[in-house]
Amino acid sequence: MKESLSYEERISQLRLTKQQHTLEKQRIDGTDGYWDIDDKGIIPKPEGFSFIPESNHENGDFYGYEFSGKNYQRLLETHPVYINKVSALAGGWMHQFMDVRIPKWNPDISYEHLHELQQKYDLIHGIGGAQHFNVDFELGLNLGFQGILKKILIYEKKDNGQHTDFYTAEKNVVMGMLNMITRHVNQARVMAKEEQDLVIKQNLIKMAEVNEALVNRPPKSFHEAVQFIAWYVIFATMYNNSGAGGAIDGYLYPYYEKEKKKGTIDDERAIFLLACLLMKDNQYYEIGGTYADGTNRCNDLSFFMVEAAHRLKIPTSICVRVHKNMNRDLLTLSVKYLFEDKLGTPSFVGHKGMTEGFMKNGYSVELARVRAKTGCHWCSLPGLEYTLNDIVKINFLAIFDVVYKEIINNNPSVEKIWESFEKHLKIAIETIAKGMDFQLDNMYKVLPELVLNLLCHGPIKSGLDMSNGGARYYNLCIDGAALATVADSFSAMKQRIEIDNKLTWGELDKVISNNFENNEVTRLLLKSVPKYGSGNSIADEYANKITKMFTKLVKEKNTPAGHPMIPGLFSWANTIGFGKTIGATPNGRKAKEPISHGANPAAGFIKDGTPTAIANAVANNQCGYGNASPLQLEFDPRMAADEKGIELVSSFIETFCDMGGTLLNINILNKEQILEAHNDPSKHPNLIVRVTGFSAYFASLSKEFRQLVVDRIVEGL
Amino acid sequence: MIGTIFDIQKFSTHDGPGIRTTIFFKGCSLECQWCHNPESISKKHEIQIFPHKCIGCMNCIKVCDQLAHTLLNNEKLYNRNLCITCEKCAKNCYADAIVVAGSDITVKEIMDKIKEDESYIKNSKGGITLSGGEPLLQSKFAKEILVQCKEGGFHTAIDTAGNIPFNNFLDVIEHTDLFLYDIKMIDDILHKKHTGVSNKLILENLVKLNKIHKNIYIRIPVIPTINADEQSMYDIAQFIKPLKNIKKIELLPYHHLGISKYESLSIEYLLSNISSPSDELMSILRKIFN
Repeated sequence: MKESLSYEERISQLRLTKQQHTLEKQRIDGTDGYWDIDDKGIIPKPEGFSFIPESNHENGDFYGYEFSGKNYQRLLETHPVYINKVSALAGGWMHQFMDVRIPKWNPDISYEHLHELQQKYDLIHGIGGAQHFNVDFELGLNLGFQGILKKILIYEKKDNGQHTDFYTAEKNVVMGMLNMITRHVNQARVMAKEEQDLVIKQNLIKMAEVNEALVNRPPKSFHEAVQFIAWYVIFATMYNNSGAGGAIDGYLYPYYEKEKKKGTIDDERAIFLLACLLMKDNQYYEIGGTYADGTNRCNDLSFFMVEAAHRLKIPTSICVRVHKNMNRDLLTLSVKYLFEDKLGTPSFVGHKGMTEGFMKNGYSVELARVRAKTGCHWCSLPGLEYTLNDIVKINFLAIFDVVYKEIINNNPSVEKIWESFEKHLKIAIETIAKGMDFQLDNMYKVLPELVLNLLCHGPIKSGLDMSNGGARYYNLCIDGAALATVADSFSAMKQRIEIDNKLTWGELDKVISNNFENNEVTRLLLKSVPKYGSGNSIADEYANKITKMFTKLVKEKNTPAGHPMIPGLFSWANTIGFGKTIGATPNGRKAKEPISHGANPAAGFIKDGTPTAIANAVANNQCGYGNASPLQLEFDPRMAADEKGIELVSSFIETFCDMGGTLLNINILNKEQILEAHNDPSKHPNLIVRVTGFSAYFASLSKEFRQLVVDRIVEGL
Repeated sequence: MIGTIFDIQKFSTHDGPGIRTTIFFKGCSLECQWCHNPESISKKHEIQIFPHKCIGCMNCIKVCDQLAHTLLNNEKLYNRNLCITCEKCAKNCYADAIVVAGSDITVKEIMDKIKEDESYIKNSKGGITLSGGEPLLQSKFAKEILVQCKEGGFHTAIDTAGNIPFNNFLDVIEHTDLFLYDIKMIDDILHKKHTGVSNKLILENLVKLNKIHKNIYIRIPVIPTINADEQSMYDIAQFIKPLKNIKKIELLPYHHLGISKYESLSIEYLLSNISSPSDELMSILRKIFN
């Protein structure tokens, strides 16, 4: 038998596996071979595997506790075993449970009464939306899978048959989980017997032992704790695409500390285990934050997470929490690797903006401090809060479009359009609010949160789904989009029609109706008005007015059922879809072109779009209640090529967060390289970009999405 | 007080310590052949033409009373000799194909711009840098800015080519924390050939400045075929060796980024055949100063 691979070599092999899987996925899956979503670690299915769920509806679909539980248990029990023998962790997912659900809503539960307004304003209303909130991994690590099962049985008994469907479904799910883990134990043993390489053989034996332990009891070692989290994120992702990993350095530290003291783990082993975890799924992990009492959570594992991502070099979503008492070395290392690796990770969350903002909703500082950043742009209280984060969007431009068409031939003025914009935005928010209540009343009848419920504090005790009363807190996310497009449109009309008198309303109507055809001069006349982000411009004023008005309208009342909503500004990847339905606009945007991104100014908003100008604009347009309005920024790799550059970027990030900035996503991209990859993705198969909140292989994105990144980057650098 | 500048660059990271806002003054007493800001040389406002951006709206021809903009055989022509820089063409060019290099600006307007980035500048221990062109050709205006910057708690720097009466230094010296002093070459004949002026005053001023100011960085552009050789650098190193207040020496590799600006100003670019110095060469040359 030969001596075997080092950790470094094993990490290289994991990376190659990931790249092979990605190429395979580009070949066989997705629309036209492209994936415009998170690369969440799905593994290509083996030939011959398929899963057909049992239906309880005439349309062939399945709904509610009983069939969701039964079907998911069967999926877990039939899902192929996946063991990569160089990884320390077992498991991988190949089938998305929700993939088979088209449409995703039970047609018998109608919300027809909301359709007209939802369609009128092109609302992403969130009905049918799943997950997008945090579990509490501490709960799971303390209980283990058997402990969770026991907890279900205890509370089922106390429930006296009031929520039998709920408890049965949850038992189904945990039984399925235990079955899948057990099959991996067996397979690891078989593989170990056949393995010739000593180190790999030992790895497989250890893998079997660790997983066998997890079948029987809560995790005790660091390895077991990491494997527990790996399983949970696999199960959660497979069930309904959940991606919330949470404050990982806090959850795992007690296990690491214990072993470190005993001398049973070294740094290299810990980094390797975390790299294996990152390989399982591109979950959102927060590092370097604070505990509830305000003490610093930063520890060795915070650094190891950054190190593991650096060594692995695949898409990951680690976010560093930036606060006054943070360990500055963690920020420096994160910026160093951000520039060196050019993987769009880590991102940076502003502790001050998030914490102080959330407290304005009436929560204690202790709770606000632990509201972890674990999604594209969002935070939530681990295991306590149901949020609908990132799945409810209002396209300001769709509202503007309705208003514009209503007023343009009716003695228009900018003031009149503004007043009507407020009126219609209010109706749109009320429509969203009604839809959220509808979701909370009915989502459990469609697809209950059977996996996430298990690691939340209320559902098992109450027999109620997180989406239906099981959560302790309900703070429903509502994001505005197209801030820059609308602010620039107001500004262009104000400047060119009412101040300069260079254009009449009739002329504007004509060019907009014709999509600026044969009238590039007028388009540029409108487009050349100083834009949002240029500082002290009319457009900046409108952006600020829109942000304030949106915040006021969202916060002035709860949903009809009494649930608070929290505003943010984030378009996610909807910039393309939202733009497609809207004709030409007064900012010089042509019909069907994308809307602006999040709270960012429009691409090319000033001739030299400096980072500070963008950052000032975004920091000044925060809704301020604990949900993010992220800043998306592109830097040339030469910016932080030396220690001085790293220090300047670190200082820049700290200042943005200190000014109330909530989230900062940074891409490090070479303009020439990205243009070449856009023309021929095959030339750069391993190029990774942060698209919005998520990162992905550039070659896996559709041409439209690639163009979106290219526009931003070419204008930004 | 009003001065003439051609740009304000925020998040400037190469003109002194930290994150800085750099104000580019218009007007220079040198005409370096490699200058990447040719619009900085003349103190006057200038029209820049970028034909690739033109959408053919003919606004420039319509508004030009001097017939500087004309159409001949369907081709647009611009005659700089007829132009009186009334700037009407640029104001009516929404495609940014015609722009004006140069703006007259008050100290207050500059301070407002600087304050927009105050947090970033101060947190990074950065500041403001007056560059150009030659900022000390407008030394009274520069002084006003510097005084207000110091009152506002900003670190201040001046990037100078040094070819100005020493009294201009005296205008600003007590308000300037750092001088970035450009030296091109010691050989005066070559200096005249490539910059249009003698280096005598420049070198004299540096020696004088070193006696009364404690924080000077020397900046040397490294231009292949002109001074990108060990002897040229050695000569500079020898000259500055006795000067005790030189705190840092920065070698700046030549780049082509300014070429399109030459075309836009109808100025011939004399160095089109040279390329940037290699990293290896830069490393060798930097060692001379260690």
